[in-house]
Parts: sequence; C-alpha cells; structure tokens
Amino acid sequence: MRVVIAEDQVLLREGLVRLFEDGGHEVVASLGDAEHLPAAVAGHRPDLVVLDVRMPPTFTDEGARAAKQIKEQHPELGVLVLSQHIETAHAVELVSQGGFGYLLKNRVLDVGAFLAAAERVAEGGSALDPQVVASLVSPGSAADDPLAALSAREREVLELMAEGLTNAGIANRLVLSERTVEAHVRSVLMKLSIPESGEAHRRVLAVLAHLTAAQT
Amino acid sequence: MGRFSPWPWALAAVAVAFGVLGTVLNALAGSHGEPAWQWALAVVVMLASTGVGLLVAVRRPGHPIGWLLIANAFLLATFGVAQSYAAYALQEQPGALPGPEWAVLWDQSAWPLLFAVLIAIAFVFPDGRLPSPRWRRVALAATASLAAFLVLSFFDSEPFEAPYEHVDKPLPMLPGVFGWLWPLAFLGMLGGLVAGVQAVRVRFRSASGIERLQLKWLAYTAVLVPATLLVCLTGALATGSGDDGDIFTALFFFMLGAIPTSVGVAVLRYRLYEIDRVINRTLVYGVLTLMLAGAYAGITLVLGTGLGSGSAWPTAVATLLVAVAFRPLRGRVQDAVDRRFSRARYDARTRIVRFLEDLRAGRAAPEAVEPLLREVLSDPRLELRFFLPESELYVDARGRPADDQAEDSRVRTPITRAGLPLGIVLHSPVDEGRPGLLEEVVETAGLAIEIARLRVELRRQLHAVEASRARIVSAGYEERRRLERDLHDGAQQRLISIGLALRHAQHELGDSPEKAGESIDGAVREIDVAAGELQELARGVRPAQLDAGLTPALRELAARAPLPVQVNANGERFPQELEAAAYFIASEGLTNAVKHSEARQVTVSAELLNGKLAISITDDGIGGAAPNGGSGLRGLADRAAAHGGSLAIESEPDRGTVLTVELPCE
Repeated sequence: MRVVIAEDQVLLREGLVRLFEDGGHEVVASLGDAEHLPAAVAGHRPDLVVLDVRMPPTFTDEGARAAKQIKEQHPELGVLVLSQHIETAHAVELVSQGGFGYLLKNRVLDVGAFLAAAERVAEGGSALDPQVVASLVSPGSAADDPLAALSAREREVLELMAEGLTNAGIANRLVLSERTVEAHVRSVLMKLSIPESGEAHRRVLAVLAHLTAAQT
Repeated sequence: MGRFSPWPWALAAVAVAFGVLGTVLNALAGSHGEPAWQWALAVVVMLASTGVGLLVAVRRPGHPIGWLLIANAFLLATFGVAQSYAAYALQEQPGALPGPEWAVLWDQSAWPLLFAVLIAIAFVFPDGRLPSPRWRRVALAATASLAAFLVLSFFDSEPFEAPYEHVDKPLPMLPGVFGWLWPLAFLGMLGGLVAGVQAVRVRFRSASGIERLQLKWLAYTAVLVPATLLVCLTGALATGSGDDGDIFTALFFFMLGAIPTSVGVAVLRYRLYEIDRVINRTLVYGVLTLMLAGAYAGITLVLGTGLGSGSAWPTAVATLLVAVAFRPLRGRVQDAVDRRFSRARYDARTRIVRFLEDLRAGRAAPEAVEPLLREVLSDPRLELRFFLPESELYVDARGRPADDQAEDSRVRTPITRAGLPLGIVLHSPVDEGRPGLLEEVVETAGLAIEIARLRVELRRQLHAVEASRARIVSAGYEERRRLERDLHDGAQQRLISIGLALRHAQHELGDSPEKAGESIDGAVREIDVAAGELQELARGVRPAQLDAGLTPALRELAARAPLPVQVNANGERFPQELEAAAYFIASEGLTNAVKHSEARQVTVSAELLNGKLAISITDDGIGGAAPNGGSGLRGLADRAAAHGGSLAIESEPDRGTVLTVELPCE
C-alpha cells in the first residue's frame, strides 16, 4: 500500500519509513509537521496516513486535528494516529468513524501486529490500542455491570473485537479456530445485548458505544 | 491684610508710654503708691489689652474692636498715671508737680469711660457692626446718658473721696438743682449695660456657626468672672479664712485681662473652636472644686468638733478623702456636665464606649466601627482608610487598595494612635457648631480602628500567602507537565526509534548481515544520547551534585552555563531542603540573567549572613528588572517566601542587576 508519514522527530520518522518499506509497502511522502499534510494527501492519493498527535508548532493536538480534517475530505482514506500516551475520549471519538486507527507509539516495535493494524485501517477497518480498550473493558464496581458476566476468554475476545480485529484476526491472535471465536463473539454480544453485525468495524462501533455508555 | 496703617501703633505706643510713666510715678510715690504686685497685675492687663488690640487692629484694619481694645488700654494707662501722679504730687512730695487736682479729678470722675468701652464692645461684637439699624437709637441713648453721667461726675458738688477730701476741685460745681439728674443718668448707664448684654443675647439667638462660637467666647468671660468670685467666696467660707480683699483685687484684674483676651480670640478666630472644650472644662473643674471644698469643710468641721480643735487628724483625714474622691468624682461630674451641656458629644461617646465593651466581649466585630462612626457623626459619606506601614498603602475596610484623598468635597483627617498613623477618615466638612466632635469620637474609637486595621492587614497578608501558595502549586504543576513532555517527546521517542532501528537490523540480518551491524551501531549511539537526555532530565528534577553540597552543585551549574559564571561559596553545608531551595533559586536567577540581562559575566554567591543563607546573583547586564515584572521573579519571591525568606532586587538601568535572596537557617 501507499503510505504518507507525518512525524516531527527525524529518527522516529526514518524508523517508520524503514519499517513500512521493510514490510513491503511504499512510503510516498514523509513530513515533519501537519501543516503540509493535506497537500501531500491530495497530491499522492495514499491508502494510509500515519501521523503523530503532537507536532509543531504547539505540540498539543495538531496531529489529531489534521487527522479529523483529512478524514472529512477523504472519508475513504485510512488514517492511523500515533500517540505517546493515551487519551481515551479522543481515541474513541476518532475510531468511531471507521478507517481509523489510534495506537500508542510503543506498538510499532511489535512489527507484525502494527503492520496488520495499519493494513486493517487502510482497508477501512479500525485499530484501537489495547490499552484504550483495557481501560474501557475493566469491570466497574456496580453489581449489575454486564462485563462481570463475561468469562475470561470472552473478555479477551471482547477486547480484540474492540481493537478492531476480525474474527479471523482474533482466532489467529488467540490461537483458536474461527468457529470457536464466532461462538465466543455471539455469546459476548448476547450478554451485552449488542445486535450482531457482519462487518468488523460496525461491530467495533457497537462494542465501543456500549463500553463508553457503560463507562459514564 | 490691607495696607499698613501707623495709627494703631502710635496709639498703642502712647498707651505703653503712659503705662511706663505711671509705673515710674508709682515707684516715686513710695508707700503712698499702690502695692507693687497690684501694679504689676494692672500693667499686665494693660499690656494684654494693648497687645490684643494692636493685633486685631493690624490684622483686621477697619474693625472697631481693635481700636476699642487699644482705647481700653489707653484709658487704663491714663488712670494709672492720674492715680500715681496724685499720690506723688499730693502725698509723697506735696507741691513738687503742678496741677495735681486735675489728676485727682480724672482718676475719680472719668471711670464711666471704662464701662463705655465695654458696652461699645458688647454692641459691635463680633462683626464690628450694630446688631441691626434699630440699635443705632439704643447706642445713641447709651452715649447720651454716658455723656450726662460724665458731665455730672466732673462737675459734681461733692468733695473728692479720701484721701483727697481737702483738695480743691478745679472745675466749677453744678448748682444743686441738677442733683435730680443723678438717678436718671445712673439709670441710663445701667440701661446701657443691660442693652449690651441684650445685644449679645440677640445675636447669639440668631447666630450659627462661627459667630456663635465667637459670642460664646465673650459670654464665657462675662460669666466666668462672677462664677469665679462665687467659687472663691464659697471656698473662703468653707476654709474659714478671713481677709480676702487681695483675692478679689486679683480677680478684678483677671476679669479685666480676660475680656480683651477672649475678644481677641473670637475676632482673630485663633483657637476659636476650643470654646466648647474650655467651657466644658471650666464647668467640670468649677463644680468639682465646689464639691471637694464643701466635703473638705464638712469633714474638718464634724471631726474637729468631735476631736476638739488643734488636732491634726481632721485635716489629714479630710485631705486623704478628698484626694481619694478626686478621680471617680471627676468622671461623674464630667459625665453629668456632658449630658447636660454637650448632648451630641455625650451620646456619641457613650455609644462608642458601649461598642468598645461589645468588642471586648466579642459581641461586635471591629469592622463595625466604620458604620458606627457614620451613624454617630450623622455622616453617611464617612469612610475609613487604613494605613499599612509595610506596603505604605491605604486600603478600605475590605482590604482593597484605595485612594487616601477624596475626589469629592470630603475632608481628610488623619488618625494616629500612640504617635503612629492608623489611617485617615474621609468625611463631610465638619459642622462648625460641633467643633472637635469628630476628633474626639475618632480618638475614643481608636482601639476599634486599630484592631480593624490589624485585621485588614492580616487578611491582606493571608491573601498574599494564599496567592503565593497557589502560584507555587501551579508552578509545581507546570514543572510536572514539562517533565512529562520531556519524557514523552524525548526519551520515549528515542527509545522507540532505537527499537525501530533494531527491528530494521533484524530485518537486514536476513538479506545483508553486514548492514545490520551498522544499524546496531547507530542504535547504540542513540542509546548513549538517550541516556544523556535522561541524565539532564533527572538533573532538572534534583541535581545529584546536591548530595555533595551546595557549593559543588553551584559549581556544576556554573560550568554548564553559556557564559562565564564565578561562584563565591565556601563549601559550608546547610539542611538539605534549604540547599535545594538555594540551588534552584540560583539556577532560576542565572537563567534570568542569561535570558534577559545581556550580561557578559555573572557571579553567584552563597554565604551565611546573620543566621541566614544569602544567595545573590550579580550580573553586569542592562539592569532594569522589576520585582513584579515577570513570572520568573515572582516565582523566585514565592520560593523564598515559602522558606520564610525574602527577595531583594537592585537593578538600575545599565548598572547590572543584583538579585539577593535570604533564607533563614533556624
């Protein structure tokens, strides 16, 4: 796939470029700020944009704002936002759109999983960092918390669903057969009263909506 | 002031010359003259009248009172001369001087002129005009009867009084038929006196403000003299001493001196406003004297009868009791006098005293003193401004800085207590009818004002401490935020990029292992840099050199600075948190100097001075740093204050900056 990278730190940017190239992808542009990103996207028509949340000039949320803007102009484009740390609210809001990923920078070191997530996002799927999911899926103290009714395995499946993985991806990750995963997924969705949906990213949306609603 | 007029001076000079002449003659008259002390009193009175008259005539030319007073003095002097002339030329050295019979005539017949002057003063006091045009007739009648009296007196058929009954009269005698005129002229004179009193009363009734006070002064002396006589008489009766002739003579002179003095005070308006206080004090001490003298006489009488005369006991007991009773009795009498004669003042003081009692008992807040003053003085615009000596600021009751000058018509009266300024009262211009009331009320309420001031000061200090604490907390938060940034954006990213480099090397191991070596070398170099960054970050949190002491930490700080920094410190050790505070202050001060001062050389010193650790940062830069100019300096001041220390800045433009922080070492 064709990738555009926006990251202000030179070493990290170069590392990312090499990572994608080593993985057999084409990096069509790498930028040091978010300012020139829309032009690069319009010029190169990439499949995926990878960008840092904090970039010049204020190092607050330039990346996030640029991501939103690109997503509005090119809804079909996959956007993967990398962050040094987790901001749950921000992350969920962005991921809800589909074709969107939000990962901690650390994840790049697990090259296989990272590239898989990037490819998923480029294809219109979702990728939500496991840490964000964990903070959403941790059971609350309320006695009637539906999450408490899940088994350990079911919770693992739920987390991977929330991360945006397909049934096949989950089966691969958990070293289970796809049919077993399907059974777990049905059970989870039933226990949480979430309507079933074939498409992975719709499922992510439903799960996230449920989880964020339960959180508040 | 008007132009200079020689006349008052001339007339006064003549009067004084007459006085001198009379004194000389009286001395020559020896035993036939007046006793020296009486003469001295008379001269004092004459000089007082001259002096006050001259003052009034010069200050207020055209005002008749000055002339009248000088005339009074002049008349007194002529009587002195006439009397002593007669005594010398008829008794001491008979035949030595010509025309002594004229002197006797003047001395014995011209005295109504003295009354004429007094009546004239009463008529035209205090503005120099008659009370109304109708009074012209009264004045004419009084003048006519006085003239008639003088004529009768000068041409009287009776012989002179002793000791000059044998002296021939120089003027022809009036036929006996005129004898019936005497009672008429006498009544006329009396009428003049009554009219004088009436003139003062009429004026007083319609007067207000200053004129009322002026009239009070005159009335005061007019009433004081008979009142004093009464007191002395009572005293004399009570103590039982016999001959009081000398006392009465002295009192007579006192009266003659008191009148011109009070008239002068009134017309010149010098200390005019004290009349109420003077009357008040006179009443209090007069009544007090009467009561104590009565008690003394009663006790000595009763005990004396019991113990028999000649015993010293009654006197001793009476003296003791009177002495013991003095203070409490004075308080009572003062209260009674105030209640009867100065109601407003009495009420005001009573309310404030009650308020102070409530304050002591905790039933009232000291801040309520401001509304109380407003109420007591019936001045809704009254406001207090408290003075804070530390900041030399004036603040209102809520502690907000406020103008100590009123923009409107209000008057500014300072409040002091034990010689120290407490603040000021802004109030409407005082009612001239109630002089001194404001000062008295404020003085009585002084304690409450002082407490209110202290509380305001305390609240302000507390507020400053809270603000400083909030700034310290927020600075701490900022610091953590910066650290978080540095860690996330620096070390963490670098570690990730190292990880990526290693992953790349891993990838390369498959196709081109020789390149993988290079990649790993690059990664190791990155690790080195990351370690350096972490070290730098840790130093920002707390430099490890501080473990070795403040001096080595400062030397390290100096070595890393981008310009030459000299460190003056002798290696002395202090408590850890104090050394850390000193280090960060020096570091912040040095950063400021580097950033803002354009200095070429900086000196950092740390030394123990009078039990305090003094840190100073001196640069040779452009100066002009203001203590509350930037957040950096305020942060330093806060840091210093948090350790109970203080910050001082000396920063003249182009003269460099010396920043000194002193931290107490306990």
